[in-house]
Amino acid sequence: MEQVMGTMGLALPWQSKLSAVQRERGTRVEPSQHLAGNATQAAANPGTEDAALAAACLSGDLSAYERLYSLHGARMKNLARNLLGTSADAEDAVQDTFLKIQRSIAGFRGQSSFVTWTFRILINTCYDARRSRLRKKEHTIEPSETDDSPRPEPRAPGSHPSLRMALERAVAALTKQQRDVFLLYEVEGFHHAEIAAMLEITETACKNTLFQAKRHLRQSLEPPRSSAAGPR
Amino acid sequence: MNVMSITCHDRDRIFENGTPAEWAALASHASSCQECAEELRAWKSISTAAQEMREYAEAPALWPRIERALAAQAQANPRRLNRWNWSWNFLPIAWQAAAAGAFVLVLAVSGGLLYRYEIRTPPTADAHFLKNRALANVERTESAYIEAIDKLAAEAKPQLDAPATALLANYKEKLLLLDSAIDDLRTQAGLNPSNAHLRYQLLAMYQEKQHTLEEILEDQR
Repeated sequence: MEQVMGTMGLALPWQSKLSAVQRERGTRVEPSQHLAGNATQAAANPGTEDAALAAACLSGDLSAYERLYSLHGARMKNLARNLLGTSADAEDAVQDTFLKIQRSIAGFRGQSSFVTWTFRILINTCYDARRSRLRKKEHTIEPSETDDSPRPEPRAPGSHPSLRMALERAVAALTKQQRDVFLLYEVEGFHHAEIAAMLEITETACKNTLFQAKRHLRQSLEPPRSSAAGPR
Repeated sequence: MNVMSITCHDRDRIFENGTPAEWAALASHASSCQECAEELRAWKSISTAAQEMREYAEAPALWPRIERALAAQAQANPRRLNRWNWSWNFLPIAWQAAAAGAFVLVLAVSGGLLYRYEIRTPPTADAHFLKNRALANVERTESAYIEAIDKLAAEAKPQLDAPATALLANYKEKLLLLDSAIDDLRTQAGLNPSNAHLRYQLLAMYQEKQHTLEEILEDQR
């Protein structure tokens, strides 16, 4: 019998939709494969590029910020979109992040990479925006309707829109740290070391959080098994 | 080549933190274990599904908007984005402390030399009167300025007491360093109240403290 994944009224034939793409561990599709050549060129010598970018931003050169945007803007916006739910909010968050970088570049000490630091500011900015949105809701909507989780807006048609919606709902139900780690690792393609630096946790904690997140997602997205076969 | 022995009990550990060899061994085990084959497939499917949440669509209006905002901010706050501030903050904290210590030492020595020079040349009564009045003015203005900064510090205190980000922790360190340098300078200024150089340096430290506190409060907003 075909294994069926059901979530909130959605019945998704898991196997038939996904089995065509079998990803092995370590063959994760990296964002640089999706982005234009800029990121790939930068990846040739990431440390130097990162330091040069930080120094150029430090000198107040706006073209350096443009370079930062061309390298990471799409990934920043996508992460913000997944944390906030709408493109408009995501764009506001990315803009706020750039302004904070400009204001706070004096405080950047190079303890982490510039890009890691940038994403840390972005994540904080997104959660500030969520808190601020929640406060506004509390003033305008009935208390029972307040909810911290984002309300995703429809996206451009993808290959599996119903799967994406189910996944977005399931991700929204994760804890903050599980959501951050899952989005940064599985969606944005960062490594555990980078995520650990962004979220100021250990790599071990990062791996464990990803494991917990995926386990919760699996439970949310897949119905209980009918077979009771235990581990061998 | 040795084939690693894997059982179903190893599965979750490998999912969490398995080596490439362990993953290969799990895949090999799954070929003869339906339970593990299903778990492995479902686990990988989540990663595959996550790609559905990746949408790097073009946003042509976003960069021009950010660029305008950056330019406006740079124009509005050129003082806070100046080079002196950058160079100070880019130094590691130990170097900043050493620099501040050396700075205070130089000030103390130069203050001492100036003091010795002044007591060798006794001032007239008029000069004394003018100097005392000017000094009183400086001290009055300084007190008002310190009070204003203390108010800023009180506003920023909740954030600094439990810094939520690395940036705030850095700000906290910087403020501690500034307070330490200010204390030293005030001690020197107390010993030699008419030393204008000490007053200028003290003022510079207070200004830096003010800017730092403003940045913290601005970030909060």
